[in-house]
Amino acid sequence: MGVMDVFDTIKAISASDHNEFLDAAIKGGAGVIGYFCSYVPEEIIHASGMVPYRMRAVNSGGTRKGSVYYSALNCSFVRACFGKVLEGDFSFLNGIVFMNGCDHIRRMYDNWKYADVPPDFRHMFVAPHVTGDTAHARFTAEIRTFARAIEGHFGVFITDESLRESIRLYNKKRRLLVELYSFRKGKIVPIKGSEVLSLMLAVTMMPVTDAMALIEEVIAALPGRAASRDGDIRIYLASGCMEEREHLELIESCGGAIVADSMCLGARHFDLEVEEKGDPWESLARRYLEHLSCPRMMNEFRSRLDRLHRTRDEYAIDAVIGEKLKFCDLWGGDLYLMKQESRKKRFPILLLERELYGGGDGQIRTRVQAFFEQVRNNIYSDTGIFRAIGADRQAGSN
Amino acid sequence: MGKKSIHDWRPLRIMKISRLLFILIYVFSRVPRFTTALMYLLRPLYEPTRETWLNRKFRYGLLTLGGGLLAPEVFRAYGSGARAFVENFNSVFRAHKKGEPIVWVEWILNAEILESFYVTSMCSALLNIFANVESMAAPSQIIEEAENQGTPVEYCSAMKLNMGAYLLHQIPKPDLIIAGSHPCDTNVSIAQTMEYVTGAPSYFFDVPYWKDDDSFRYTEAQIWEQIEFLEKRLGKKIDWERLKDMLERVNRFNFYLGEICEMHKAIPCPGTMINLGYAWVVREVSLRSPHALAMAKGLYEAVKKNYLAGKGVVRHERVRVLLWFPPIAFFTYLFKWMEHEFGAVIVADFIGQVSTVPIDTSNKETMIRDLARTQMHLAMGRQCHGPVEFITDEMVKYFEQYSIDCMIFTGHQGCKHGWAAVKIIQDICRERNMPALFLNIDIMDQRCLDEQGVKNEITKFFRVQGWA
Repeated sequence: MGVMDVFDTIKAISASDHNEFLDAAIKGGAGVIGYFCSYVPEEIIHASGMVPYRMRAVNSGGTRKGSVYYSALNCSFVRACFGKVLEGDFSFLNGIVFMNGCDHIRRMYDNWKYADVPPDFRHMFVAPHVTGDTAHARFTAEIRTFARAIEGHFGVFITDESLRESIRLYNKKRRLLVELYSFRKGKIVPIKGSEVLSLMLAVTMMPVTDAMALIEEVIAALPGRAASRDGDIRIYLASGCMEEREHLELIESCGGAIVADSMCLGARHFDLEVEEKGDPWESLARRYLEHLSCPRMMNEFRSRLDRLHRTRDEYAIDAVIGEKLKFCDLWGGDLYLMKQESRKKRFPILLLERELYGGGDGQIRTRVQAFFEQVRNNIYSDTGIFRAIGADRQAGSN
Repeated sequence: MGKKSIHDWRPLRIMKISRLLFILIYVFSRVPRFTTALMYLLRPLYEPTRETWLNRKFRYGLLTLGGGLLAPEVFRAYGSGARAFVENFNSVFRAHKKGEPIVWVEWILNAEILESFYVTSMCSALLNIFANVESMAAPSQIIEEAENQGTPVEYCSAMKLNMGAYLLHQIPKPDLIIAGSHPCDTNVSIAQTMEYVTGAPSYFFDVPYWKDDDSFRYTEAQIWEQIEFLEKRLGKKIDWERLKDMLERVNRFNFYLGEICEMHKAIPCPGTMINLGYAWVVREVSLRSPHALAMAKGLYEAVKKNYLAGKGVVRHERVRVLLWFPPIAFFTYLFKWMEHEFGAVIVADFIGQVSTVPIDTSNKETMIRDLARTQMHLAMGRQCHGPVEFITDEMVKYFEQYSIDCMIFTGHQGCKHGWAAVKIIQDICRERNMPALFLNIDIMDQRCLDEQGVKNEITKFFRVQGWA
C-alpha cells in the first residue's frame, strides 16, 4: 500500500460504521459486541472470541428517530446513535454493552430494552465514579460479572490464560498508539489530528490484530511526512464524544495543528497498559479505573488537570481547545475547571459547544480564527464558552 | 421600592432572614389555632395576589405553611421543624464565627454520621428552598450569577443555586465536603467543581447502580471509608454511642413518616402531602436536631387523628393525584392550592414518600450496614440512581396502592436522565389509562414556567378531565 493510501484507507474506513476487516471477521464466524465507553474492558470481549466494536453515530440520518425516545434535552450523540439503532444499522451486532458513563448514555440501556431492538445480549456494565481500593475491588467484581454474563449467553469460557493473551495483545496495540502519538511531539507534525481521529475510529471497529497492522502501517508512513505547516498553533484538544473528522479538519484549516488530546477516541483509549503480571482480573480493573479519566470520575479532576499541564510542556502546546456537546453536564463542569486553570496558569483556552454533526461551521471557523489570532498576538482574553447554533446543518439532520 | 442588588447582599443574608422567619414560625406555632386563623384572615394580602413589596418577605413562607389552610395541630408540628432549622442555622453561624469546622453534606446523603463527631454540618443545597424567602426572583438571580461565572447552563438549577449561593457568600465556606454521585450527572460534576473552588477536602460516595446485596455492601464499605476520612480530617474518633442515639431517633423519624405514607392510602386521604415535603426538607437540613423527631411525631399524630375518624384533609376529595418527579421548590403551595381549588389531593409524591429499612443499632457493624441501606432508600436517590424501573416500578406501585386518579409529572429541565425516559413513562400511563400532565418546568427557576403558569397548566388539565 503506497504512502498516501493508508491515510485514504483510514479516512474511508472511519466514514462508515463497518468495514472489510469487520465483515471478514463476521464471515469467519466471529461475533461482534458493541460497547459505549472507554471504561468497558475490551479484553473481556476479545477473550470471549468476539470483536469489540465501539459504538458511533457515523452516517446517522439525524436525531429525529432517536428523539422519539429521548428528548430535546438529551445530547445529540445518543439521539443520533439510537436513531441508527432503530434504523437497523447495527443489526450485525451479537451483543451490546451499555455503561453508566453519563445520564444520557445510561438511559440507552433502558430505551434499547424498551424498544426491544436486537441483539438479545444487552448488558449494563457499571463502573465506579471514583478511584481507590474499595472502588477497585468493586470494579474487579463487576468485570468478573461481565465475563460471566458473556459466558452464560454465548456458551464460551473466558479463562485466565485467554484473558492474559488478550491483555498482551491490547497492550501491544496501546504501545503502538503511544509510539504514534510520540511523533506528534516534534516541531514538524507528521500526522494531523483529524487523521488520528480517523485512525481511532477505524481501529475501534475491527479485530485487534487488523487494528495493529493498520497502526503499524500508519507509523511506517510517518517518517519524513509533514502534515503541519510553519506557524501552525499547536493544540491540545479536550473533549468527550468526538467523531466528526470534518470538525477537526476545520480547526486545522484555520491554522491549528492538533498534537495532543484528552479524548475518548484519543489518548483515553490507550492510556496506561494493563499490568501483565499478577491476577489479570485485578490488573484489568486497575488499568480501566485509573487510565486517563473522563469527567465522570469524581476524585480524578486534579489528575486530569495535572495531565493537561504535563502535556502542555511535553508537546509544546500553544493553546487548548475544550469541547463539549450541548447538554453535557460532565464536560461542562470540566471545561469550567480548565477555564479556571487557564486563568491561573495564563494559557489560552477556547471553549466550544456544539451538536454532534450539528453544523455551525461558519460560526466555529470565525471563532477559531479569532482565537488563533489572539494566540499569535499573545493577547489573552477571558471569553466564555462559544455555542455554535448550527444554522448550516446538512439536509436530513435534526 | 428598590430591591438590593444581589451583589450588595451581606454574607449569609438569606440564611439569617430565614432563621428569623423560622423563629417567628416556632413562636407562633405555640398558639396554632390563633395563628392559623390569623393566617387565614390575612390570605387576601398574599394568596390571590402576586408578590409585592408589601408581602415579599412573608408570602412564600406563609404559602408554604398552607396559607392558613393547615390544621392547627399540623402547624404546631411545623413549628418543631422550624425550631430544628433554627438549631442547625445557629450552629452554622456559631461555627462560622468561631472558625470551627463546617462540613457540607450534599443532599440525599446521611448527615447522621456527623452527629457522632460533634461537628457542625449543613446541607449546601438549602437555598434551593430558602432563597424563595428573599423574593420570587432571588433563586433566578442566584442561578444567573452562577451561570455568569461559568457554571454550565445545562446543570440542574438546584446545583446552580448551590454554586451561586457560595459565590455570593450566602452559604459559608466548608472545611470538608461529603458528596455523592447520585442522583445525576450534575451532582457528579459539581462535586468536583465545589472541591476545586472551595479547596475543601471531599469524600465522594460512589452510589451503586443496582439495589442488590453487593450494592449495599459496597455502600457500607464506603461509609466505613467515610468514617476514616472524617476521623483523619477532624482529628477525632467517632462516638459510637452518640451515633446509636442518633440512629434510634432516625428509626423513629422514619417510622412516623412511613406510617403517614401508609395512612395516605386511605380514602379520603387524611393528610396533606406538603407535610411530607416539609419533613423531607427538615431531614435534609436538620435531621440531627431532636426537634425534627418532635415534628415527625406531631405530623403523625395529626394525620392519625383524621385517619381514625375517617376524615379527609379536604371536605370533598374529588381527585387523587400522584406528583411524580421532584416537587416545585418555588411553588410549595401547590399542594394546598390544588386541595382548596379543586378538591384534588396529592396523596403520594416523589420526594416525600418514605420507603426505607429500620436500622439495627445493636452494634457498630449493624449500624453501618443498615445506614448504607437507608441511604440507598432516600427519596430521589432511590429512584434515580439506577435503571428506569426504579422510577417506573415505584410509580406503578403507587398508582395501585394509592387509588390514583391522575399523575402530574414535573419535568424538570435539568433532569436529563428523567427526560431520557419520558417516552417510557408516558407509555406506561397510556397503557393504564392514567391521565397524566407532563409539565415542562424548572423546579427552581421560574423563568421557565412560573407559579401562574403552573396553575394555568393544571387548571387546563383538570378542566379537560372534567374535574374543574
